[in-house]
Amino acid sequence: MITTFLGHELKAFWRSKNTGKSIAIRVVMALLILYLFGCILLAGLFLNEILGQVFPHDDIVVSFCGIILLYFLFDLMMRMQLQELPTLRVQPYLHLPIKRNTVVGYLAFTAMLSVFNLWPIILFVPFILKVILTDSGALPALVFILAIIGFMLFNNYMALFIKRKANLNGWVFLVFAAALILIITGDFRFHLYSVRNISYLYFGHLLTKPVLVLLPVVLAATMYYINFAYLKQNLYLEELSSRKASAYKSSTEFPLLNRFGKVGDLAANELKLIFRNKRPRSALVMGLFFMFYGLIFYTNSHYGQTWYIFVGMFMTGIFIISYGQFMYSWQGAHFDGLLVSKINFRDFLKAKYLLFTMVSTVAFILTTPYAYFGWRIVLVHFVMYLWNIGVNTTIVLFFANRNAKRIDLSKGASFNWEGVGATQMLISFPLMITPYIIYLPFSLFKHADVGLAMLAGTGIIFILTRDFWVKKLEEDFIQKRYTVAEGFRNK
Amino acid sequence: MIEVRNLKKVYNGITVVDVPALQINKGESVGLVGNNGAGKTTLFRMVLDLIRAESGEILSNDETVAGHEKWKDYTAAYLDEGFLIDYLTPEEYFYFIGGLHSHNRTYVDEVLVGLTDFFNGEILKKGKYIRDLSKGNQCKVGVAACLLQEPQLLMLDEPFANIDPSTQFRLKNLLKDLNRNKGVTTIVSSHDLNHITDVCDRILLMEKGVIIKDIATSSSTLNELEAYFGVEVAPPAH
Repeated sequence: MITTFLGHELKAFWRSKNTGKSIAIRVVMALLILYLFGCILLAGLFLNEILGQVFPHDDIVVSFCGIILLYFLFDLMMRMQLQELPTLRVQPYLHLPIKRNTVVGYLAFTAMLSVFNLWPIILFVPFILKVILTDSGALPALVFILAIIGFMLFNNYMALFIKRKANLNGWVFLVFAAALILIITGDFRFHLYSVRNISYLYFGHLLTKPVLVLLPVVLAATMYYINFAYLKQNLYLEELSSRKASAYKSSTEFPLLNRFGKVGDLAANELKLIFRNKRPRSALVMGLFFMFYGLIFYTNSHYGQTWYIFVGMFMTGIFIISYGQFMYSWQGAHFDGLLVSKINFRDFLKAKYLLFTMVSTVAFILTTPYAYFGWRIVLVHFVMYLWNIGVNTTIVLFFANRNAKRIDLSKGASFNWEGVGATQMLISFPLMITPYIIYLPFSLFKHADVGLAMLAGTGIIFILTRDFWVKKLEEDFIQKRYTVAEGFRNK
Repeated sequence: MIEVRNLKKVYNGITVVDVPALQINKGESVGLVGNNGAGKTTLFRMVLDLIRAESGEILSNDETVAGHEKWKDYTAAYLDEGFLIDYLTPEEYFYFIGGLHSHNRTYVDEVLVGLTDFFNGEILKKGKYIRDLSKGNQCKVGVAACLLQEPQLLMLDEPFANIDPSTQFRLKNLLKDLNRNKGVTTIVSSHDLNHITDVCDRILLMEKGVIIKDIATSSSTLNELEAYFGVEVAPPAH
């Protein structure tokens, strides 16, 4: 039975990762995954040297023992955010004559198939083989590996258990997250204790007393058993599913947008789309994080104004780029409805402009505190803000007419490749390069200010001629509408 | 109201719709029946200009549908959940649709009050987004959104499929009322032969993309359709 399950699992994996994607996307995906994998592997292979650099006064084995628990603490936080519950996949088997133990065992087992369970192994095992094996011998190396696998599995099942609990009661998640943050701040902020010392206390003793390996093994086994028992007792769809128990959903309004009539209504709908669905919401949240992007560049005098243009464009326009690149896909699920409704496509486009302008304006206001690093930075931001709402919005919408990949709004954003196609690869070139095509010729001949003025001027011209671009985009869309609608209908 | 000329749609070399000529007059109630894959939904989509026909054209009030938007003023349709904006609450969706036709909220509220029975207390003020409603209740939202638009042409694709028996009867009465008392042209598809012969005055039977029968409903229509769809029961094998 388990082999049949595994066969289905493999099929599900390959078919969900590969269907509907072109060769180019698959190659880029594979390269990215290999790159990530390679980075971690490199870090693992040179961990001894990295540790020697970071903690020059300590013995590397001591520092190594110190960081392990610290790693698992952050690992737990990451898992809470990113690891997905392997749940609904059992739905098709629940009503079939298959023993509950088999189904639960399968569920608990597939929970191990997560990238998070690969990282600690490639990160730590090379060090253990290189240093601990040669210094202390085979037995300590073996118990080290076992202990790391033990902690890894403990974390794995702990995160899943908390997530399952949190699905039924949102407070569980908050309490757990608060506890984790308290543990970390207790160490790094208030210096009440040191996780590194605790980690060394355990792993240091593990070197001399291999029996201690039983601790993580028992912990992992217990956690696995708790999970298993809990799942077995609660093998009902509503408790398994990753959907949260729903609270009362009330209607909301954006009075500010009412002034814009039908265009405002459309923009209000799109705002609701963003706030009420997981993936677009994370695009927005990511945009907020990007507000700190400037700290990397402005604190370092090494970067000049040429960089500021780039940073300014990203900070005031990250939403246009991250949300806009998938445009109309967000509405793919109800695109037929939009086409049949009495919506003028020009209004539809104007609503997009309105949305982008609003979000960019907010982003620009949020970045004004960077005036601390000089008013010139705010000036560059303002120029790039004009550029974003003038030029970049139009570029993004031009590509949106060519994008026919559906997106399932309810899925999370991390490692989600749905909706990614050639459009997203192509769109980055004009977005990144065009401002420099205008700016660089001037700045290279020591007239950077003229270049900046040209950027601002182009932005303003595009804003003033918006109606013209809306008309052009509409004509363009009318040609492509059948292809786009057809693509969205293909689930 | 609707005129179809030499309409043809081909997918991967297979003709899925082939209608040389079809005329639907104003005020008619037309029922579309046929097994899965007969081309009912494809025909609907072409009338709504959602897919491009290989050849031929569809006229609505003497104007080609493709590339024009005038028909949107008087046409309302609900084909599937893809017509609903599923992250809105039903109320928000109704106000939005009403707004597109420049109806204010009081007007929308009035229409919705008239639909209280049809909703059966399961749609309004339930604190759910449309995506959290059952398929049957989503269908109710879709039909109600159509009625809000005060259409002259109403198109529903298998509206009876997911709704409960009470709602089926209410929907039938609603459709009859719209057609007979308000002169709305209705085109409805269904697999339920009883319902469709009850509601519609004219039945179009499709098979593999072709309209093979075009009958005015009479007392013998149901039998005729049952004879067509009835599959001979094979004698038990020995």
